Amino acid sequence: MENLNNVEQTIAVQSQDTCQLLNTFKDKMTLSLKVCAHCTLCAESCFMFMKNNKDPHYMPSYKFINSIGVIYKKKGNLKRNDLEKMKDIVWKHCVLCTRCYCPIGIDIPSMISTARSYCRAQGVYPEFDEIY
Amino acid sequence: MVKSKRKPLNEIMGSIQAYSRIFNIGCGGCASVCLAGGQREVNALNSEITAELKSQGLHKQIDGYTIERQCNNQFFQGLDEIVQKYDCLLSMACGAGVQFLAERFPTKPVFPALNTISIGIDRDIGLYEERCRACGECVLGYTGGICPVTRCAKSLFNGPCGGTNKGKCEISSEIPCAWQEIYVRLKDQNRLNDIRKIRPVMLWQNQVQRMTVQESYRQRYAQS
Repeated sequence: MENLNNVEQTIAVQSQDTCQLLNTFKDKMTLSLKVCAHCTLCAESCFMFMKNNKDPHYMPSYKFINSIGVIYKKKGNLKRNDLEKMKDIVWKHCVLCTRCYCPIGIDIPSMISTARSYCRAQGVYPEFDEIY
Repeated sequence: MVKSKRKPLNEIMGSIQAYSRIFNIGCGGCASVCLAGGQREVNALNSEITAELKSQGLHKQIDGYTIERQCNNQFFQGLDEIVQKYDCLLSMACGAGVQFLAERFPTKPVFPALNTISIGIDRDIGLYEERCRACGECVLGYTGGICPVTRCAKSLFNGPCGGTNKGKCEISSEIPCAWQEIYVRLKDQNRLNDIRKIRPVMLWQNQVQRMTVQESYRQRYAQS
């Protein structure tokens, strides 16, 4: 996790505290990623998945594996494009309604919110005046 | 959604003047969507504060961070350790978020950086119109979807009053009479009977602190 901060130099990091914050979640996040059984039972608890014709890109497990999962897997060695793609996953595909259900007990909302925190710390976040 | 507006810089500077390590916490919920207290606004405010301090020859440590929603305890996780490094907290959330932050960190002074304005709609980018005052007694069903509490100067449940004048309110010729609009809409829908009967006065439930328990969760919270 020492390299968590190694996103391209052009990306501003707000403060060291934000990366420390991500490090404090390391145990919880890596454990959650490890125990996910890919059972897909979380899928039908997600209204975004149901409303988008059960598109697998909206499955809660897909969303956390391809956001916070990628961050930890790549140990922070991400490019800005990776974060921009991640932005869509964690903001456009998830409203953090916290209704997702995992039979194993994985705290999916906290995984998505940690991914959002990481993106924000690297200066990648939604601009709410862009949607008009 | 809840609409907020940033406080003047002078007021914010005044609240943090006694502290040297300041942690500015944004909210990724409503405050972010109404362009008042998201990550971008946290960065902007921190830059303004830093510039202002510099112009005064002062130096303080000011850092920023945005959590998903300051009105939900779930999203405070991880902040506990960081917050201890700071003398005071600035919150860029609505009044509910500020209070929840202060409750979560009772030993830290918490200051609001926003004024909470209303529950409103998005007219355009950065242009919001109040539409609800959370009175707890919604009458939109018989007023044609036009809120007399928010839109009528007297918040009348049985209107219009004698001050209506050619479709405008007596307090200003710029302000439309809500009850005129209600009448026109209901007439167009052939529903004028809805406002012919006298409605009881409002109980003004929003004058005391309210707790909301959804029916399906009533049993769960019955003991507490």
